[in-house]
Amino acid sequence: MKGRKVWLEQLGELSSSLQLGELLLLHGRLFLMRDAAHKRLFPGDTKPDVTLDWNGKTIFYAGPAKPLPGWASGSIGPTTSLRMDPFLPALLQAGACATMGKGLRGEQARQACQRWNAVYLVAPSGCAAVLAQRIRKMQVVAFEELGPEAIFQAEVEDFPALVAIDSQGHSLFNGIAAPQCGS
Amino acid sequence: MFRVCEQTVSREMGEALVQAQVSVNPFTRAVLERSTCAFSGVLLENVCVARETGLPLCQDTGMVVFFVERGNQLQLDFSLRDVLQRVVENVFASNPFRFSTVTDPLFDRKNPGNNLPAVIHERVVAGTDLSIHFLVKGGGSENLSKLWMMRPGDGEKGLVDAVKQHLAKVGAAGCPPLHVGIGVGGTADEAMEMSKRALLLDPGQRNPDPRYAALEKRLEGEIEQLHLGVQGLGHGPSCLGVHVLQAPTHIATLPVGLSADCFLMRKGNVCFRGQRT
Repeated sequence: MKGRKVWLEQLGELSSSLQLGELLLLHGRLFLMRDAAHKRLFPGDTKPDVTLDWNGKTIFYAGPAKPLPGWASGSIGPTTSLRMDPFLPALLQAGACATMGKGLRGEQARQACQRWNAVYLVAPSGCAAVLAQRIRKMQVVAFEELGPEAIFQAEVEDFPALVAIDSQGHSLFNGIAAPQCGS
Repeated sequence: MFRVCEQTVSREMGEALVQAQVSVNPFTRAVLERSTCAFSGVLLENVCVARETGLPLCQDTGMVVFFVERGNQLQLDFSLRDVLQRVVENVFASNPFRFSTVTDPLFDRKNPGNNLPAVIHERVVAGTDLSIHFLVKGGGSENLSKLWMMRPGDGEKGLVDAVKQHLAKVGAAGCPPLHVGIGVGGTADEAMEMSKRALLLDPGQRNPDPRYAALEKRLEGEIEQLHLGVQGLGHGPSCLGVHVLQAPTHIATLPVGLSADCFLMRKGNVCFRGQRT
């Protein structure tokens, strides 16, 4: 598969060179989390139970299926990023350099990417068996009791992703009026 | 009276449910083969990998929604609801699927770790058979669902505009090209159920009423014009098909329900012939 090879550990430094619509093949460490973990990490008015270091990290909005024996991960793929829009400013402020999921994001998220010099990537959906093969290692980082909604750390190889919002805030979804959040 | 065997129902429904999760349907395959997007290669590769490994095509192995049609001359000596729930529990326990349900929706949202419950719609029809259709319904496409209580005067144009505007806003998040079900008439609940039931139909099937068949085609054209594209990235097809089901309604109402399915359209059906006893 074609695509620019990118090491996730260097994504923060590279982000301003990533072109809108560019296909990437990611290598290195991703952090998986979705709705339930976001709500616990960024509860709004109250103090969170757990704080994690997000500096330079790439967050993948995903919850894996069960693995087959001997596999690092089961089927895996992106969930709808729009639902995580309300949490994005806090996550980027905490140092995360990129997020990855599926589908369009709202204006609030686009502005947050621009403000914090962060990128938003789209990973292919509906091809979760192939993506399982691109994961070398996986372990739970927090909230194991949430099952597939726990926070996981995954080592990936040749993991395909498309730049959908660049660090200057240009978006592939311009012209589509996304709702503020939801869906 | 006529009967069907509990073990047969259990075994064949289990096999059909696994099949729907790991094997792509021919309509989706044809679309994947002829459309090009940045991810075309991995999408096609996925079809092979899932079939060879038994890994599900999508990590969101969904909530299972059953539509049961039970013949009125059929006598069951078991609880069909219990059997279907057990089928889901066993299939999700013994396959590399994802437990994607939470028991309390608002407060605890605790995952029971068995993917229960399945949703079961049941109706009695004339006949001697037991027909069971099901959808494997992922959360992303389910979130596109919508109910409009339109004014009777809004008519066809009102319906088309509402569907178009709604999918222009949220369609890209539901893994297009989309399969769209529309339920027109009935009561609010009936319109939503019809919209889901419409997703059981295959691309190419048409409403027998030519006016509704024309509406289906018109909606397909309108959704295509939104240019959602494969994966919502703006290139390739946006719509796999639209199916409309209609029902009588109240003089004051025009309910319109919308359900959508992702491009994988994971579903199945098994018909059990009643045996005379």
